[in-house]
Amino acid sequence: MHTAAHAMLFLLPQTTGYIFPNEAEMPWSLLIVVYPYLTGLVAGAFILASLVKVFNVKELQPVYRLSLLTALAFLLIAPLPLLLHLGHPERSYEIFLTPNLTSAMAMFGFVYAWYLMVVLLLEIWFTYRRELIVWSQGERTVMKVVYRVLSLFSVDTSEESAAFDRKAIKVITIVGIPSAFLLHGYVGFIFGSVKANPWWSSVLMPIVFLFSAIVSGIALVTFLYMVLTTLRRERINMACLDKMASFLFYAVILDFSLEFLDFIHRLYESEESIKILSELVMNRLFFSLGVIQVLLGMFVPLGIMVLIRVLRLDEELRKLLYFVAVILIQLGIFATRWNVVIGGQMFSKSFRGLMEYKAKIGGMDGFLMTLVLLVLPFIVLTVLIKVLPPWDRPESVAR
Amino acid sequence: MTGFFKRLPEAVVRVGIVFLLFITTVSFARWMIPASLKNGREHRTATVKRETAKAIHYAGADACTECHKEINAVKTEGYHRNLSCETCHGAAKNHAEDPDVKAVTDKVREACTRCHMYDPSRPTGFPQINPVVHNPRKQCVECHKPHSPKPPHVPQECQACHGQIARTKEVSPHVDLPCTTCHTVDVQHKVSPREVRAQIPSDRSFCAKCHSIDSPVKETQKVDIKTHGEKYLCWQCHYPHEPELHSYGTKTLP
Repeated sequence: MHTAAHAMLFLLPQTTGYIFPNEAEMPWSLLIVVYPYLTGLVAGAFILASLVKVFNVKELQPVYRLSLLTALAFLLIAPLPLLLHLGHPERSYEIFLTPNLTSAMAMFGFVYAWYLMVVLLLEIWFTYRRELIVWSQGERTVMKVVYRVLSLFSVDTSEESAAFDRKAIKVITIVGIPSAFLLHGYVGFIFGSVKANPWWSSVLMPIVFLFSAIVSGIALVTFLYMVLTTLRRERINMACLDKMASFLFYAVILDFSLEFLDFIHRLYESEESIKILSELVMNRLFFSLGVIQVLLGMFVPLGIMVLIRVLRLDEELRKLLYFVAVILIQLGIFATRWNVVIGGQMFSKSFRGLMEYKAKIGGMDGFLMTLVLLVLPFIVLTVLIKVLPPWDRPESVAR
Repeated sequence: MTGFFKRLPEAVVRVGIVFLLFITTVSFARWMIPASLKNGREHRTATVKRETAKAIHYAGADACTECHKEINAVKTEGYHRNLSCETCHGAAKNHAEDPDVKAVTDKVREACTRCHMYDPSRPTGFPQINPVVHNPRKQCVECHKPHSPKPPHVPQECQACHGQIARTKEVSPHVDLPCTTCHTVDVQHKVSPREVRAQIPSDRSFCAKCHSIDSPVKETQKVDIKTHGEKYLCWQCHYPHEPELHSYGTKTLP
């Protein structure tokens, strides 16, 4: 209790104007910024994969499996920030065993379980089933058992079974698109439905979240594809890269239009909160929203992609510019999540004061934990790629 | 029936088995969970049962008063009259039942700062201190009597309770004015601050005594009280504890 009071003595001098006493400390910390960021990457990566199977975008075939594995790696880590933020991750199974059916927050458990089990794992299993059987025959060590178990002891490698796999994948992807929309739309809904908070309360919220998710997912897979291909000392498939960049370009434009629409709408409506919100944007969020999210995260990447289209640059320069653009976009989307989650808690419900947020360094919901959670999906992805290579395995090619 | 299963692709059967296993496990786990964790009504009944079964540790203030009549008499006259004995002395059922078992009283500073540490959400006038600068190495009880707490000296200055205003006034041009220049304060206000309130001036003529152009007081900012913001009271625009510092000197303001 005394630490809380001391924290208040420390935080209060940083507030401006009038705030209610219980508003000095923010309940939703940095980890709640990480949560929609990771979930968005999952949904975005899956949408990219679905472009191949449902919309038959042939150019994207080289990144199909990579984007599925990326989605899985990030999905496995996505609930961790929530569970750590709640304070007792070891008790989390209780939430799943006795869910509260009338709580919007508890719905994440169902959305998550559905997406993980019925969509992602199933699609990955059907994608890899035949390979798993083949790989298990070529192995002798522990991996033979691992592949046998992963293939669920399946033995059928006939052409008919492969045809069935392809059909199943198509059906799952068709179910998967609305599911991916549901997954990240849900995250947007949780914020959009808080009617007491004018920064969050907007019907556009789920849709804005969704498109920013698609932007971040495509950018992440582009980044991973470029890095991994370079590490494997192979040539980057430029047709694939250009196609991804062009989808990224349209997604950024859509995302920008939606956010701009939201902005105009708020400005024209000019509800009683508009003054404090403009204070918020001009003071507390100027750097993270104005500079990082809009300028570096949207305008510069858009400019880069327009430049590439207009000037018809050569391959090497295109790669370099794409690489810069996708990193900037990641930065921008992380700032977007920050601006929603932290920004929404930075102004007083009295509409007369602004608060300040200082992240803790250590602890279960501090800055270091945030870094760990942002690195963890990449470690999971490394393991997944080792076990389920998304490209032809070099040794099997040699055999 | 077996024919139907044979016609299903092998993959579907295997995935089906996994899903069936999962659903069975979850259903079994749900079945194992006691009803009091699944049903709201049963959950509340079980909670009431669990809570009422707990051992009682507190004796209640009436039990204390039976033996400690004199202390209670002092306490009922003081500011802590609404606090129960065991708030500070701790659970004392054992002591009430057997006086040989001593009640343990924690005299650490933290016991007092739980209520008296500065917190802006507490009402103005409630005695609050900053424990870091307020006699940090002394126990509170060395100067304050907990059964009838008063500051060691009855506050001569208003800032004992109105610290925030006093600090604001310290950096304002009104720093040299005692609070009683503007506020008339009954002696009773120190005893019952809520019931007997301090008074504030009622009209513009009060400020005009120093700030009107024809005022004999030197070194103050002057205005023509007849034309300057005529329909408003002075303190609707100027906060008297921190009136604005202008560079006009003692010239007449527009």
